[in-house]
Amino acid sequence: MTSETARRNFAEQVLPHLDDAYSLARWLCGDATDAEDIVQDACIRALKALEGGAPVERPRAWLLAIVRNAAYSWLGKNRPRAIVLAGGAEEAEAHADALETGGSPSPEATLIETADRAMVAAAIDALPLTFRETLVMREINGLSYRDISEATGAPIGTVMSRLARARALLAQKLGTAP
Amino acid sequence: MTRPNVEDRSLLLHAALDGELDAAGVIEVERLLAADPVLAEEYARLKALRETIRAKAPRERAPDSLRLRMMELAEIKQAPRREAKTARWRDPPSWRSFSAAMAATVVATLGLQHLIVASNAPDAALQAIVSAHMRSQISGQPVDVVSTDRHTVKPWLAGKLPVAAEVVDLAEAGFPLAGGRIDIVAGAGVPTLVYKRRDHLISVTELRAESDETALPRNLAVEGYPVVRWSDNERAYVAVSDLSPTELDAFVTAFRHAVARERGGGAGSGSGN
Repeated sequence: MTSETARRNFAEQVLPHLDDAYSLARWLCGDATDAEDIVQDACIRALKALEGGAPVERPRAWLLAIVRNAAYSWLGKNRPRAIVLAGGAEEAEAHADALETGGSPSPEATLIETADRAMVAAAIDALPLTFRETLVMREINGLSYRDISEATGAPIGTVMSRLARARALLAQKLGTAP
Repeated sequence: MTRPNVEDRSLLLHAALDGELDAAGVIEVERLLAADPVLAEEYARLKALRETIRAKAPRERAPDSLRLRMMELAEIKQAPRREAKTARWRDPPSWRSFSAAMAATVVATLGLQHLIVASNAPDAALQAIVSAHMRSQISGQPVDVVSTDRHTVKPWLAGKLPVAAEVVDLAEAGFPLAGGRIDIVAGAGVPTLVYKRRDHLISVTELRAESDETALPRNLAVEGYPVVRWSDNERAYVAVSDLSPTELDAFVTAFRHAVARERGGGAGSGSGN
């Protein structure tokens, strides 16, 4: 049985951010229907947490942290390989270092601007999971560094370097002629 | 002061792009960009990437069916029990009336909260404005009059309210007008303008200023939403959004400048100084 307080908090703190929750879930799992399942699972978890009565200070970051956890459980069940790859993120970060100083030509700003929707979506989808979630939270959900740090549990310094790597990879992909 | 290394300088650019720097940091970045064309090129690239992502991979709206299911999940509904039994959800009375019921619930519960906090809360008006914004989002009907044209919104509001609201066009600053609505604050109708940024909405409510002092924008958070309030010598304003506080600040800056231009006819923007 859901208490009146939990219900009210759900209406005030969860429902307004449903678009954000859905967008994040969609980018993490890659499918509209699965994203609905993930958001539903997250909402059930959120409601349960609100039942506990602890005040939520930053509702959007808090909800997206729950969505992220729900998405990770979903991925663990349905796409175990994606999670395994995410474990190697630190390694990928090291690789990206090489990429930045490597001999490849600098991506062109004007070329980046001409990328179409499908190209942008494919480039984001191709990012390693930890980079993708950081980028989506910043550019699509519009979270601050602090909120991303709270939602992903990573220190702000790590958030910043992941974001920089994610952008370098995207720019490389979109900004150099195929 | 040591020169930041390449890695740090790159992170500094990202932080500048993301609005995460304080004034000193911004000055530092401007200095670096002016001195280093390679870095300036990198910054241009990052900006192009940002614009591209925002334009081509926008935030999506959650399907209404999902929204309804989640409301059902928390048993958020206003219908009395007997009605709930017959009309429930197999055959929803229509999204519109359902969301109206939902809005009523939120108003009722927030109303209760007001009673509790009104005595020591500095500002019940602020609460009312934020609730109106939340309600507009939940109901999916953020505006009473839909128009991107300020020359439509202004007369509409003027026809309903005793005072004329200032309606400015901010499309060039990246905040196109979505329309207007009337909110109820302290028992009276007040004009609220709704602007858009990507999929986010910004509500700006105009109130009669309590004094003719000019108050610079102040950032607050109400119910988890970033809120900015300010006033100039005639009117008080409250802006609320689910945008990040930095983007809301950018909006407020654009709005204030446009209003000052509008009032001063181009010359008298001095009131803000």
